[in-house]
Amino acid sequence: MHDANLQYHVQLGPGDVGRYVLLPGDPGRCEKIAAYFDNPVHIASNREYTTYTGTLLGEKVSVTSTGIGGPSAAIAVEELAKLEVDTFIRVGTAGGMQPFCRPGDLAIVTGAIRDEGTSLHYMPIEFPAVANLQVVSALRQAAQRVGARAHLGISQSKDSFYGEIEPARMPVAPRLQRRWKAWVDGGAICSEMEAATIFIVASVLGKRAGGVMFMGGSTIMSQEEYAALAATLTLDQLIQTAVEAVKILIEQDRGRS
Amino acid sequence: MATRDRSLQYHIQMKAGDVGRYVFVPGDPGRCEKIAAYFDNPVHVAQNREYNTYTGTLLGAKVSVTSTGIGCPSTAIAIEELSRIGADTFIRVGTSGAMQEHILAGDLGVVTAAIRDEGTSLHYLPIEFPAVADIDVVLALQEGARRVGAPYHLGISHSKDSFFGQHEPERMPIASQLQERWKAWMAGGAICSEMEASTLFIVSSVLRKRAGGIMMIAGHPDQRPMTDEELARCDLDLLLRAAIEGLKVLIEQDRANQPAALAEQMHHA
Repeated sequence: MHDANLQYHVQLGPGDVGRYVLLPGDPGRCEKIAAYFDNPVHIASNREYTTYTGTLLGEKVSVTSTGIGGPSAAIAVEELAKLEVDTFIRVGTAGGMQPFCRPGDLAIVTGAIRDEGTSLHYMPIEFPAVANLQVVSALRQAAQRVGARAHLGISQSKDSFYGEIEPARMPVAPRLQRRWKAWVDGGAICSEMEAATIFIVASVLGKRAGGVMFMGGSTIMSQEEYAALAATLTLDQLIQTAVEAVKILIEQDRGRS
Repeated sequence: MATRDRSLQYHIQMKAGDVGRYVFVPGDPGRCEKIAAYFDNPVHVAQNREYNTYTGTLLGAKVSVTSTGIGCPSTAIAIEELSRIGADTFIRVGTSGAMQEHILAGDLGVVTAAIRDEGTSLHYLPIEFPAVADIDVVLALQEGARRVGAPYHLGISHSKDSFFGQHEPERMPIASQLQERWKAWMAGGAICSEMEASTLFIVSSVLRKRAGGIMMIAGHPDQRPMTDEELARCDLDLLLRAAIEGLKVLIEQDRANQPAALAEQMHHA
């Protein structure tokens, strides 16, 4: 039965989350991220939405998974915003799109290509999906502190995973391949599936959003080379960078108020 | 007209060495001289069509100002040709219309990204690609605004092809569409409306150059006229001083980062 005090999909009520929320795609990754919080508590799990809340520097912070794709991410951001969340940081994995993006490098997303359908339900396509400058700056500083190799740039946010990975077998193959080349030529650094929607919804709601991605795959290695390297990589620096960025924002926000 | 000098870029009529790596790009050719007055040793370099250029120095670094004319088509040409002769950092300096009621006439807008409500950038990248400013340019311009004590707002600019479609939408055949979209841009939080930023950002992305913009914001989102008091608040010199200070911040940063940048390049090589 649904409790009317709870947001419909995320199944969270007032006070359940802090104003800072990390947004991975994968519900299974929430516990790992929450392990970096002080006193993490599992609050709710419903569908693809899993939430833990704890503290950082004494401030309440949360992690809520969005599931894969813009549709479920928009729902998460909407419902969390109703619970007075005002800062969203997407934390996830992405494919590298430039030769200088080595497997395991981080991408700090400054803007996103709206190659998806959800954000069109909010804003005409001409409107840019941009991250909040404070969040981007905090993530950049955090990556430096953590010692991670990070690139700032634009992410391609797509609706079709296999349209990216296996475009040749799609009926619209030429279009997919032509557009992929344009994104690369335009300088996009990584490809994932939620950033554009999160940025547009956050803009419309007047909230801050940003994202940091672990880049897998490689545009220059063979599959064997990549597999050997991938086995040695962990998401530790990704999570540490996101957590460190939240701490930086907490300190900045305290200084301001 | 005399025969063309082939060593010069076709429209801007300049060659390598005529401009610095840092270039201010106002819309109005008549504003170049005013901007150049803030340089050390400004020299008038070229004038052709709407492209007017002065070059001088700031903190000893060569800097230029080249007007783009109104609109994205002429702006794209300016950025392309300036890039070919060594420019790698573009700062748009200009005037714009307010899109939020809380923004006061004369406030400055530091542009972080732009709405691609124009035709030119589509000749470069599909519409889904965001027109975003370079973060280091944005942060430097923000610091410039702070240093001169200007009230400023960080945010998204609306870049449009039709000036009168914005100012007098009701008389256009597509009035309802223009009005509906204007309302959406406002609801999305756009801070100002002008006519060149999105193409500047997209062309710079494609050419791997840095770009940003700082605008003086005037007028009102509902297009009602400004009062005398509001008009008096619109101080173009404040805009120019903020832009100049911002560029100085960037020049200093580039100098400080030079060893790191070189090491990074070698890292990639």
